[in-house]
Amino acid sequence: MSVALAALMAGVGAAWLAVGRVDEPYQTADAPLALLVGWTFVGSGLVAWRQRPGNRLGPVMIVTGFAWFATFLTDAHAGWAFTLGTAIQSVYLVGFAYLVLSFPTGRLRGPVDTALIAGAAIVVTLVEWLSLLFSDSHAELCSECPPNVLLVDRNDALANGILQVQRLSGVSLALLMVALLVRRWRGATAAERRSVAPVLLAGSATVLVLAVSIANDVVGEPLGQLGKWALYCVFASVPIAVLVVLLQRRLARGAVAGLVVELGEHSDGTDLREALARALGDPSLDVAYWFPTGSRYVDREGNRMQLPGPGSGRIATVVERDAQPIAALVHDAALAENAELVQSVCAAAALTLENERLQAALRARLAELQASRARLVEATESERRRIERDLHDGTQQRLVSLAMSLGLAESKLEDDPGAAAPIVREARETLALALAELRELSQGIYPSLLTERGLEAALDDLCRRAALPATLDASLPRRVPSQVEAAAYFVASEALANAAKHSHATEVRIHARLDRGVLRVEVADDGIGGAVTGSGSGLRGLGDRVEALGGGLTLSSPPGQGTTIVVEIPCG
Amino acid sequence: MRVVVADDAVILREGLARLLTEAGLEIAGLAADADELVRLVEQQRPDVAIVDIRMPPTYTDEGLRAAQEIRARAPDTGILVLSQHVRASYALELLSGGSQGIGYLLKERVSDLRELASSVERVAQGGSVLDPLVVEQLVGRSRAGADPLEHLTPREREVLSLMAEGRSNRAIAAQLFVTEHTVEKHVKSIFATLRLPPSPDDHRRVLAVVTYLDAR
Repeated sequence: MSVALAALMAGVGAAWLAVGRVDEPYQTADAPLALLVGWTFVGSGLVAWRQRPGNRLGPVMIVTGFAWFATFLTDAHAGWAFTLGTAIQSVYLVGFAYLVLSFPTGRLRGPVDTALIAGAAIVVTLVEWLSLLFSDSHAELCSECPPNVLLVDRNDALANGILQVQRLSGVSLALLMVALLVRRWRGATAAERRSVAPVLLAGSATVLVLAVSIANDVVGEPLGQLGKWALYCVFASVPIAVLVVLLQRRLARGAVAGLVVELGEHSDGTDLREALARALGDPSLDVAYWFPTGSRYVDREGNRMQLPGPGSGRIATVVERDAQPIAALVHDAALAENAELVQSVCAAAALTLENERLQAALRARLAELQASRARLVEATESERRRIERDLHDGTQQRLVSLAMSLGLAESKLEDDPGAAAPIVREARETLALALAELRELSQGIYPSLLTERGLEAALDDLCRRAALPATLDASLPRRVPSQVEAAAYFVASEALANAAKHSHATEVRIHARLDRGVLRVEVADDGIGGAVTGSGSGLRGLGDRVEALGGGLTLSSPPGQGTTIVVEIPCG
Repeated sequence: MRVVVADDAVILREGLARLLTEAGLEIAGLAADADELVRLVEQQRPDVAIVDIRMPPTYTDEGLRAAQEIRARAPDTGILVLSQHVRASYALELLSGGSQGIGYLLKERVSDLRELASSVERVAQGGSVLDPLVVEQLVGRSRAGADPLEHLTPREREVLSLMAEGRSNRAIAAQLFVTEHTVEKHVKSIFATLRLPPSPDDHRRVLAVVTYLDAR
């Protein structure tokens, strides 16, 4: 409020100064235009400040407005006021440059931007003041003006030179700024363009007119009154453009209302993405649905989706309901500037998103089940292949060899019975080996102890036969369903085998409990850790098997801290 | 008679060598895989190569492919394929280039030393030996009783026996001093008489040969 009041007074003062100039009476037409420019800046700045207290744009616009009014001190009759006005007469340009370059974040984007602003600040302050030290007011500034109180040593040539340097630097900086804005426009995404277009346009126009005006000053042919008014108009359009963008965001809130209506009409949510993209003005928008079972995001079809990382130019806004994520809108990073709009859109679409999420999660679950079923089939297949190979390479070979020995012995019996005895002995040994192998193999297919005595006995047997020291701590008061017993047994068996093969462990502990109808078997080794359940690992297939029984298998294997595998299966 | 033996399992390779020696055959070399076998055969030119089907590196049908290579590089060497399983398709593949000097037996048949020795001998002499199980798979059990060749004319039998040697219709025509067309007519009649179901001609031809071999 006080700022607005100050602005009002400053404006009136500036207008009075402008009107009070007697030397150029037709300049009275400047007054309303000048007022318009200053008040537009301060007014827009106030609106922006209220809308976005954290954004520097508001204060910058207000300061620019006041700096603008300050230029009218050059019209004052008092020497000190005139000198002060002259000293800061171009400061508002720095504010303007900052405004355009930093829009819409209020922060400069890089070293070139910063250098440009710093350069402009030096040109409008230090260089200006330097020239004032040598400028005689009548000779250099204007014939009717009050004396320059800063004058130290009148030197027309030097003062003029400094002035020309100042103007040239001004033109260069203006051109550099245009180049920067053009480059920014080219690199902008659709959403970014939408949000900065008016400001960029007004800013570029101002810079162009300014550059033309200064260039004309340099070559000694000032643009005159018309040019001045043109500059005033384009300059005043900058804060107006800022206001337009702000209003657009208000209008965007209207889009939220439209979205709500649209979502109500299409409750099936088929074009939810389209509607959201329209409401947010980002055609590239994507919707990722939270899939709690898999702890990941999925698309509408249930396929895994990765949220964008930092620096990708895209960000994800997570939509929550009851503190649970339901979806994430993956959109252009430029939309972050309009967080309120994104939040309103999220709030408006939350219910529909939740519905869609349920469907997407269902599809993801279905895909997961299909994959797991396929893996189960594959696991069965590979298990059969393994058994076939074991039989082929082991038992069958021994038996063929046995057949050979017997054939040989038979032929010996006829003409050299004494030579047959060692061959028969050899055959017996081969047969014993074949039987042992067959026993091992059938044990691997399904341990007989598991059928006969249950899980505890089978695990105990497993520990005794393990390739490395293994201890069992089990308390299973009753038998559990045979498929549960088998799944748990094979997990333990695979875990033990893995520990023996890969973990460099010195010891394995198996812990088995039946607690409130849930069988829990834990296999922990003290090895090197770092185990994974990748594809092709036996544990993956066993995990599927456990899941098919409504249970779960977890693997914890931090490097250097051993591997712990826990299987939990409800026993009904 | 000189033979080479190829089997990736030492126990079977050595056992077979011992058996064959006992049967009075000379072992010209042992191979653990198909490449080694082909090299050995080219070097030694044995009368018969005894080949396991499943060998490194893929443990699928290396032996069969080795057999084809031996057929191409050393046509005089007979091939006796041994396997723990017999498959009709493998038999067809083996016989597709003619049945001369080809044998295909279940591994366990080696327990009968005399039978093994005679099989090797037959293959060495350009004959063919097929495991009864293969024949059964190929031509079916139903014909086991009756002689399937009994309804063939003497001329057709002659044609069939030449087919069994792996000769083409043109070669058969030249041998019998008839036109190729006549031979084709005989062949069609043989297929019909043996009631071989229509299938790609090559297979029917091999099936006819198998029936012939089996009935002898």
